[in-house]
Amino acid sequence: MAFNDWVKLRRARQTALGYALLAPSLFGVVAFLLLPMLVVAWLSLQRWDLLAPIEYVGLSNWRSVLTDSSFGTSLVVTVLFIAMVVPVQTVLGLFAAAMLARGLPGSGAFRTLYVLPWICSPLAIAVLWRWILAPTDGAVGTVLGQRIEWLTDPDLALPVVSAVTVWTNVGYVTLFFLAGILAIPADVQNAARTDGATAWQRFRHITLPMLRPTLFFVLVTGIVSAAQVFDTVYALTGGGPRGRTDLVAHRIYAEAFGAAAVGRAAVMAVVLFVLLVGVTLAQHFYFRRRISYDLT
Amino acid sequence: MTSPSRTISSAGVYLGLAVGAVITLVPFGLGLLTSFTSARQFSTESPLSLPTPPTLANYTGLADAGFGRALVVTALMTAVILLGQLVFSVLAAYAFARLEFPGRDALFWVYVATLMVPATVTVVPLYLMMAEVGLRNTFWALVLPFMFGSPYAIFLLREYFRTIPADLIRAARVDGASTLDVIVHVVLPASRPILVTLALITVVSQWNNFMWPLVITSGSDWRVLTVATAGLQSRYDGQWTLVMAATTVAIVPLIVAFVALGRHIVSSIVVTGIK
Repeated sequence: MAFNDWVKLRRARQTALGYALLAPSLFGVVAFLLLPMLVVAWLSLQRWDLLAPIEYVGLSNWRSVLTDSSFGTSLVVTVLFIAMVVPVQTVLGLFAAAMLARGLPGSGAFRTLYVLPWICSPLAIAVLWRWILAPTDGAVGTVLGQRIEWLTDPDLALPVVSAVTVWTNVGYVTLFFLAGILAIPADVQNAARTDGATAWQRFRHITLPMLRPTLFFVLVTGIVSAAQVFDTVYALTGGGPRGRTDLVAHRIYAEAFGAAAVGRAAVMAVVLFVLLVGVTLAQHFYFRRRISYDLT
Repeated sequence: MTSPSRTISSAGVYLGLAVGAVITLVPFGLGLLTSFTSARQFSTESPLSLPTPPTLANYTGLADAGFGRALVVTALMTAVILLGQLVFSVLAAYAFARLEFPGRDALFWVYVATLMVPATVTVVPLYLMMAEVGLRNTFWALVLPFMFGSPYAIFLLREYFRTIPADLIRAARVDGASTLDVIVHVVLPASRPILVTLALITVVSQWNNFMWPLVITSGSDWRVLTVATAGLQSRYDGQWTLVMAATTVAIVPLIVAFVALGRHIVSSIVVTGIK
């Protein structure tokens, strides 16, 4: 066999092998990620009640979703939720990380402990908190000796759902800040210390600026995941009272499987997808521009 | 250096850390205690009084409510998805990292682009697709969408596989090893930390998965723990001792696995940055 033929054969075999190894995951990506995106766009133009045959209705779902107030309310509620959850969990996570970064004995155990709520089922966590906050026989009410409608008071429900979400996420956010702080070269800190900088000055002028990439990552992933919270709302409030905690993921679910208006749910899903891609791409381009820090 | 001011601030740090620990642990502790309290004691005494005597009645109550089956279904679902994801992700990542063939890079970018597809958006169309092929309320509907590998795992494994020295693989090749031999005997042993991390993250996210099982299953045949817990809570609203037993069953296996697998997992979550 000539050398050329051997190279060709080898190349053909590698191509066949490559596609054979990719086949299962390629099937998964096409069938369960790409195809659903096409189907959801198509569904947004159909009427389907989960039972009767699907019927083409043009843009009427889009018109009804975009003019009707329930989706608008849901988007506003979601933005308010993000505005409460993301800053608070970021500040608390930064604070916890700064304490853990001191490296005092036992820090590792605290770190593991703080992550526990994050690995637990959000659904089970929400059910747990539903009891803790139950007005008559809940833990908080018993301690306070006072009946407070944490989850059914229209002014309290969303802040409370946000607080439970923060409680779940803080440990996870802490991990990223801790890694970021520990990656800062020690001699930078030492030089500042030699120059007489106080702990606060070092935090403000060295740690914080050097944590900017971490901060950005934590903010963007925080926004993207908060925009998709479902389990917590489902078990804590069911979207109530009067839509005050009806986060967009819960609205999509309720629209499709509660109201059996699948076409409308598909419209909402497409809108959510576009918004999330926007956030993700913004992050991508931001990172491309400022991935590194010039220390000179 | 142990100046007095430093000792004082160390005490301050411990105080802060302890406050955080209390806030983290107390809800779990209260739920756990309540799950061992009899329904009668819970309704007649303060809800926060210690269980006297502790009882397992709530847990046997769960068994009557079909939680045994839910536990088995959840474990089986998690195991099948874990196995599928690891095997198929490893194969794909090896092809992307170590083979050269036309279309490889374009396909890789397609995989990466799908990282932006949120689960919330695919639930509705996936429901329709499963209904069309008649798989609604089956075990396969639970596992199929997740068992063919995850783009994120493939992405991370590819990065990892590329760092394995080419000489190592070439040496195995010279000894007559097939591609499968190379993967099993060279690549996998060199990638243990990332594999353990991916396994843990897959187990956590699948064990906790709620929205998809909620919509695609109905009745008790293929009910998973999260769905059973939500159902129990709405059916027996107010029977908190029983409901707390359910949340305990849903939560404790993961906490045990997490603590047992050790602290090094915590730092690798940062490397992978997943949820």
